[in-house]
This record gives sequence, C-alpha cells and structure tokens, in this order.
Amino acid sequence: MTSREIHWTIAGQDVTVRVEESKGHGTFHVAGRSLPFRLLQPNWIEIDGKPHRFYVRRSGNECTVWFNGQTYHLVRIEKGGLTKAASITASGKITALMPGKVLRIDVRAGDTVEEKQPLVIMESMKMESALRAPKAGRVTAIRCEPGQIVEMGELLMLIE
Amino acid sequence: MIRKVLIANRGEIAIRISLTLREMGIQTAAVFTEPDEHSPHLRAADEIQRIHSYLDSQEIVRTAKECSADAIHPGYGFLSESPTLAAACEQAGVIFIGPESDTLRTMGDKLESKGVMQKAGIPTVPSWHGSPPAAEYPVLVKAVGGGGGKGMRLVETAANLADAMASASREAASAFGDERVFLEKYIRQPRHIEFQILGDSHGNYIHVFERECSIQRRHQKIIEETPSTALTPDLRARMGAAAVAAAKAVSYRGAGTVEFILDPAGDFYFLEMNTRIQVEHPVTEMTTGLDFIREQVRIAEGGKLSYRQSDLHQIGHSIECRIYAEVPEEEFRPATGTVETFEPPAGPGIRLDSGVAQGSVVSYHFDPILAKLIVSAPSREAAIERMKRALRDFVLLGVRNNIEFLYRVISTEDFAAGKLDTGFLDRHPQVFSTSETIPIEAILAASLSITPHPADSSRATFPGVWTSGSWRNS
Repeated sequence: MTSREIHWTIAGQDVTVRVEESKGHGTFHVAGRSLPFRLLQPNWIEIDGKPHRFYVRRSGNECTVWFNGQTYHLVRIEKGGLTKAASITASGKITALMPGKVLRIDVRAGDTVEEKQPLVIMESMKMESALRAPKAGRVTAIRCEPGQIVEMGELLMLIE
Repeated sequence: MIRKVLIANRGEIAIRISLTLREMGIQTAAVFTEPDEHSPHLRAADEIQRIHSYLDSQEIVRTAKECSADAIHPGYGFLSESPTLAAACEQAGVIFIGPESDTLRTMGDKLESKGVMQKAGIPTVPSWHGSPPAAEYPVLVKAVGGGGGKGMRLVETAANLADAMASASREAASAFGDERVFLEKYIRQPRHIEFQILGDSHGNYIHVFERECSIQRRHQKIIEETPSTALTPDLRARMGAAAVAAAKAVSYRGAGTVEFILDPAGDFYFLEMNTRIQVEHPVTEMTTGLDFIREQVRIAEGGKLSYRQSDLHQIGHSIECRIYAEVPEEEFRPATGTVETFEPPAGPGIRLDSGVAQGSVVSYHFDPILAKLIVSAPSREAAIERMKRALRDFVLLGVRNNIEFLYRVISTEDFAAGKLDTGFLDRHPQVFSTSETIPIEAILAASLSITPHPADSSRATFPGVWTSGSWRNS
C-alpha cells in the first residue's frame, strides 16, 4: 500500500487528494471523506461502488480529464513539504468543494468553533460530507441556508 | 470502364471515396503533400503519390497520367469546383468525376447562375438595382463584387436607403475595388435547405430529397439532417421539382446539390449550386441506401442512373455532426495538436467518416474538419437520442474540438422541436457556456494518474501504464 497526496487548484480553491493504493485498488481521502476505488480495466474505475469511464492526459502540471463524456481541465500544484491532509486552506473562507446541496448548518453566526469542527453538512453525488473549520475562531458570517444548491467554490461561511 | 482513380483530396473524404472504389474493384491512388506524409488517407489507397500542392491542376493531371489512372475524383473543396482541373482533364483524356468544365464555370459565377435559374423559372431572392417597392422592406444592400459580409447593410425602411447604399458602396470600393451595390430582399429567420441531385449524360435527372443544414457557424454548416422538419410532402415535391429543373437547365452531369433558402412563410429561393460531392452526403445515403460515390463513378463512365425518381424513398431519419478541431467557446478558433486518444463511438445506426486516427497531427495547413459522426434511426427523436449517446461516448483527446459543443446544441429544446434557422447559435448563447463544476470523481481519477514519486511528476508525458492500458502496481 502506497500513499501520496496530490494538490489541485480548482476554481481558486486548493483541493488535496490523498491516494492510498495497492494493486489497482485503494482509498481516496478528500474533503474529510474516504472513498474506496478499484481499477476495473484500463480507463474504467469504480469509485465508491460506481463504475466510471475516464481518460487522463497530462502535460506538465495541467491535466485533461475525460470523464463520462465530458472533458475537464485541472491544474496541479506542487507542494513538496506539505504533509497535513488539509483540504481547505486556513484562510477562514469556507467554500463548497463540489457542487451540491446544503443539508444542514451546525453553527450560528457568532459561535466560537474549534479546528476541524463540522460547520456545514453538504450532499453531493448522493453522499453527505462535512465542511470543517480550517482553524479555530469565530463564525462571522453565514452565506448559505439549508436546502440551497451551491456551486463548486461558492463561499458558504466566514471564520475569523 | 474506370480501372484506376486518382483521388485529388485528403482527409475523411479521400478515405470515404477509397472505400467505395475498393468495393467496386477499382484501384486507387492517393496524393499527399509534405504535412500529410503520415495521414490516414494514404493507408486507404492502393498507392500513394507525393505532390507539391492539392491546388495545382496541372500537377494533378500529370500525376494521374504518370500512374496510369483513367479518372480523377476531386472530392470536395480544393479543385472540386474548379473549371481549370475539369478542363485540364478533358484535354488530357482523363475522366473528371464531376460535371463538365462549362457547368462549373457557369455555376461558379453567382450572378450568372442566378440568371440561368431565373430563366428556368426557379425562384431566386428578389433583387433590385434601384429603390424597391415599399412592401419589400427590409432589404439588404450587397456588393456586386463582394462576399464575407463586406459592403453589406440591412435597411429597414426606405428613409434609410440612400445612406446605407452610400456607405456600403464606399466599403465595397475599398474592399473589392468595385463600388457597385445592389439590393436584395432580406429573408428573416431563413432555413438552409438543399436538394441532392443526380444527372447522367443521357438526359436523366432525379433528386434524392432534402438536407436541412440550418445550424451554421460563420456561414459554415456544423449539423445537418434529413428529412427536414420544415418540409411538408407538398413543399418537398415542389422544391424537388425545382432542383430537378435546375439540373436540367445546365444539363448537369454527376452528383450535385441545389441550395435553397426557405423563409418562415414557406417560400423558397435558389441560393447556389454545389457541383461536387457534398460534405453532408452521408445523411442522404443513410436514409435512401444510395452510395453517391458509386453513382458518380457510374455516371462518369457514361452509364445511366441506377434509379428512377419513383424508386427513391426516405426511410427513417439521419443526422450528421461535423467534428472540428476548434474551440467554440473562443469564437471557434482553430485548434492544433496531436490526437492522443481516439475512441469513437460504435453501435447500431452509427457511421463515422474520419480523417484522423490516434497519433494524427492536426496542423493549421488544412480545413479543421477531423471527422463526421453520422447517425440514423427510425425517427428524428430517436436519431437525436442516438447522436447524444454517440457524442457522449466519443473520446478525442489531444486536440481541442467541438464534440461537447455539438452535444449542447442538439440537447436544446429548440433543436428537439425542429425550430431551426441559420441564426440558431446567435439565439442560443447558452450553448457556449461550459460547466464550471467538476465532479469529484473526475478529480480523483486524475489524482490516480499522478505517479507516486516526485521525480516522475515533472515528466511531460503520461506514464505508460495508463496509456498502454495495463495496470501495473508501482
């Protein structure tokens, strides 16, 4: 089992993916979630039980991903010494890591929060995930409400 | 009898021509210029000949003679509508698979062809040299020597006519060195409807129904289909008769296309005649069973048409999407590169006429068409669903292309409803916006492709395990 971290910058947001793999299967760790994967055959991958067809072309730090009929462009950032599995930069801006629906907000404006405390529970790709506090502080603004559909990178909350 | 044909073209059409000729037992010679020395069209032919230019008639006829070809097929574009090549063939005793050079000359002149069609009683867009009757507004001011929108003005009322003509005339003088302008009726929301025709040298003429080509960008077609949702059986019969009359008027020999514009009231006007195999001919083949290359060869050999008008029927529906190396979101700028992944769709009712394969280099030298994806199905609805599925299954990486754009266009409600006209893309700006969101799974799949060792991450090329297909644990 090998483990490595890949850093991407997506819609102005740093996203870190930790890949644990061995012989074509393993686990992705992203945004506080763990998703099992299995390489089914070349260009087919099963992620969390669902198969997907994909192709990846790389040129330097730019990646073109063909995924289920659509092409996406990703930019990778090199972070040699980074070991912390931080999925959100510690800027105090809580943004949506992927498009989805806000299910629940676990804090109120003015609340004091601790690092890694769950703030917003989101539903994306039919899975629930928690957005956690990147640092300890106080919630200064809440920019979303339960039931709201949000885009990737959309600002949801501020912490100071 | 034709035994050997030199194909004076490249790309998908050169391959498509080769395929039928092979089925007919006819030898083929492909030609190529330096940027094309590894092009797939060379592998489709029995022999290859290097030339300096696809546009040099003399060189092409000489090459045909040297390799003992008895005929030249010009394809589309390049010299296909050039009276010079046809005339050079006539002189050298090589069969030109197309009309006579005189027909090419007449139809190549927009004013002359319009005059010929008017004489034959075929409706043309009304035009005037002086002030038009008030009821005919809006009108377009057009340059006699022009094209490409230069020296063109839209005039809504008679009050603005003088100013518009003066400014168009100034523009025409500087652009074409010819200040003459004329007025033409402005057709609102026009559809582009064309009729396939066939004529032999025995006086037989038929039409092979219509193709609707209203989805255009920069006056170039990108999606074509047949039948058209705009044609009733009565209108189809009248337009078909006009197309046959157009063919008769010039004693047309070979396969050709009569282009019309159709206004929302159902009035149609002759636009021009294309004297060659048309890019979008496959949709007609898919719905009628004809093979136009076979018919062209048969006619060129002096044979009679294999079909009478009453033999022909439209069965089902067919749509073609032109896959271009271009970026629709950036004003359709052409794209270049190497085709790194080429996995076209397959399945029932799918035809791919492609000029590229994995590894092909796409350069600025030629037209950016990569391939044509054609589907057929029993109904228009089913054909749209099939095209959507096929576009979603089409993997073409390494050269930016319009596959996803085409998907968004055919997914619009107006396309499904058949509400088409040549201004379709302008009226649907949403088809130009790509999704800003990336599925998390796509990010994960990309992450997996990044090799574990930092030393590997600087490699410009992709690790072999993912391109060659076999998984290797590292």
